[in-house]
Amino acid sequence: MIGDFFILALKNLRRRKLRSWLTVLGIFIGITAVVTLISLSQGMRDSINEQFEKIGKSRIMIVPGGAFFGPMSSSASVDTLSEREAELVNKIHGIELASGIISDTGVIEYKDELESFSVWGMHTDSERTKYYKSIGLLDIGKGREFKASDNHKAIIGHKIAYETYEEDIHVGNKITINGIDFNVIGIQNEIGTGMHDSLIRIPIESARELFEKPNNIDVIIAKVADGENIDDVIDEIEKVLRKYRDVDEGEEDFSVQSSAQTIEQLNGILAMVQGVLVGIAAISLLVGGIGIMNTMYTSVLERRKEIGIIKSVGARNSYVSLLFLIESGMLGTVGGIIGLLLGYGFSKVAQLAASMFDVSLVPSFGFSLILGALLFSFLIGAMSGLLPARQAAKLQPVDALRKKR
Amino acid sequence: MLDYFILAVHSITARKMRTLLTMIGIFIGVAAVVSLISIGQGLQDAVTEQFENMGVDKIMVMAKGSFLGIGDKIFEDEDAEVIRKTRGVKRAGGMLYKSLQVSTRDETKYTFVTGIPQDETKEIINSMSSFTITHGRDLKKGDRYKAVVGSWVHQGKFFDRKVDIGDSIQVEGKKFEVIGVISEIGNPQDDSQLLISLDVARDVLEEPDKLDIIIAQVNPEENVEIVAERMSKDLRKSRGYDEGDEDFTVQTSAQLMESFGSIFAIISAVLIGIAVISLLVGGVGIMNTMYTSVLERTPEIGIMKAIGARNEDVFKIFLIESGILGLGGGIIGVILGVGISKLVEIGIHATGVTFISAYFSWYLIVGALSFSFIVGVLSGILPAMQASKLITVDALRYE
Repeated sequence: MIGDFFILALKNLRRRKLRSWLTVLGIFIGITAVVTLISLSQGMRDSINEQFEKIGKSRIMIVPGGAFFGPMSSSASVDTLSEREAELVNKIHGIELASGIISDTGVIEYKDELESFSVWGMHTDSERTKYYKSIGLLDIGKGREFKASDNHKAIIGHKIAYETYEEDIHVGNKITINGIDFNVIGIQNEIGTGMHDSLIRIPIESARELFEKPNNIDVIIAKVADGENIDDVIDEIEKVLRKYRDVDEGEEDFSVQSSAQTIEQLNGILAMVQGVLVGIAAISLLVGGIGIMNTMYTSVLERRKEIGIIKSVGARNSYVSLLFLIESGMLGTVGGIIGLLLGYGFSKVAQLAASMFDVSLVPSFGFSLILGALLFSFLIGAMSGLLPARQAAKLQPVDALRKKR
Repeated sequence: MLDYFILAVHSITARKMRTLLTMIGIFIGVAAVVSLISIGQGLQDAVTEQFENMGVDKIMVMAKGSFLGIGDKIFEDEDAEVIRKTRGVKRAGGMLYKSLQVSTRDETKYTFVTGIPQDETKEIINSMSSFTITHGRDLKKGDRYKAVVGSWVHQGKFFDRKVDIGDSIQVEGKKFEVIGVISEIGNPQDDSQLLISLDVARDVLEEPDKLDIIIAQVNPEENVEIVAERMSKDLRKSRGYDEGDEDFTVQTSAQLMESFGSIFAIISAVLIGIAVISLLVGGVGIMNTMYTSVLERTPEIGIMKAIGARNEDVFKIFLIESGILGLGGGIIGVILGVGISKLVEIGIHATGVTFISAYFSWYLIVGALSFSFIVGVLSGILPAMQASKLITVDALRYE
């Protein structure tokens, strides 16, 4: 029975080929735009999330001053943190280990070339070295790790070693940081985030001397123990530090950020951009839907006689309405299928174009995107057909048979 | 000619529902395009105006990768001296900004504090700013712990309590006397700032000779671009960098304006491009309606031709009909688009950003109308051709 309906609907659509194609065209242009935009922006989000996965989600950073983005902002505030506070955080239940870092910008000279990079002064005892490793901060590719006795030694990021200076820097080479000599003892593996690959790490004692920061530290990095709730731990850190620094809630002169929060913030921004773009593209889908409605109204008008005959031989109202709904749903679905294929093609083209500019942009086609696009286009078709189908169903057989058009 | 129009209007009004739906298809697209362009234009105008206040004879020197100097403090007084000594520079001065803890008697918040020099270089900084003092007086030479505050601070929109002339305010625990209020600039960040003298800012920050941004004014007879080139060369030499490796950027106000302009252009092109897709779909809708119309009126066309209408007459009738569909959609779309951007404008103003207003140029409106008319006409060409080429006898016999 229902199969007959489909055959009938298909026949009707094919009877008016040009009109059907134009209507489908209206839908698939919109679906193409939406699918292309979603797959590209989803791909972008995936790659950002992947980079953060490498850093680890259980990492917490405490920086002085109001809430800004990351450790670089420490230069935008005059407040500082102290080793004492790092110890307090370290004692909090749920923290595996917390440690202070000095973060500043240094001018690095190698073979008479000057460049400026972020320099981190870090503790070098074996316990903390192991901990830094566990949060992905240390991933030595060449050379060795810091030893507790190291002084004026540096471990440099992949980008500094191989992509910055005319001559590559190797383990054993000498560089100067703000005019003071350092021996390169290690080079990190490429991590893929700009911040980590262009970072220089030196023992914290050297950093204190170099940047004239005898007591204070710029960032506290902490790792949440496995199985602990990160948000609870953050609340606890804020409470302890508020008490120590004697500030009220809401007036903190420090901020606690977890990498999970940073991901969330970034994802939030990307989702907004995605929303705006897809929203504008969806307008064309709306227009396409109105096109379906128009085609269906016309179709009802043209087929009044036919409807009259169907009804007079015993078709119920619901059958007539179903017949037209299937027809409009088909228009939508066919548009969706073509749009999906075209959208896939377009985002592959965009990927190719981006790779020519050395930008990696891998579109992501989730199952939900494919299914969602098809379902959505079917729904648009069916919904646009609702009113015309009702009009058709409500026709009186006698009137329908009598009226010419 | 008028007859053609009457005929077209007649056949359009004869099928109200179909006409309405076809026009909706067009006006949704036109409304989206009009509102996006007018808001984008308004944004661009607002930014351009702020840059124009700076004057075209200014050169800004900032840390590389920073936004208007917010970021690493890499300059020192000696850099300003190098810039001042560059041939062609009339005068130069530097500023310091930082987000600092500012408190009244019962509240503590963070806001931007700007250190402005009070010696002879002050004038150049002032000539770039668009604000005036509305209450009290400006900072002057010899002022120590005095502050000029933004209008939000004065009006009680930043702190819960209003801050008046003569009140005291604390910056990083140091007491300042409020001596003046600046006019409203129109964005929350600038209207919540504090201006203090550069020397005091350096004391508070414990950075005896750092600067965030150095601004130079070029002698009137010199070419700004050439002086900027010369300036980067001198600065590279004194800071010890090779070309291309420098940690600072030198930008003239014209360059700065240009780079903003091109970012805006890219963003609006992407948004409008996506919105135009819906106009395209609307055009397909017109084509569909017109084909249907030709089909329905085949006998009518046959009669017209039988009593002597030429092919081009038939063609014109249908083309005018589709043009009217497009134009009608365009008119409604422009009205809707203007309404939408006015709503968005009200929304933006409600957040405190008052310097952005939607801008409707006459060529946007004329452009939108003629574009929608053209979309209508173009979509009508194929159906109208089909109609005009019908063979009279076949058309009369049809169904």
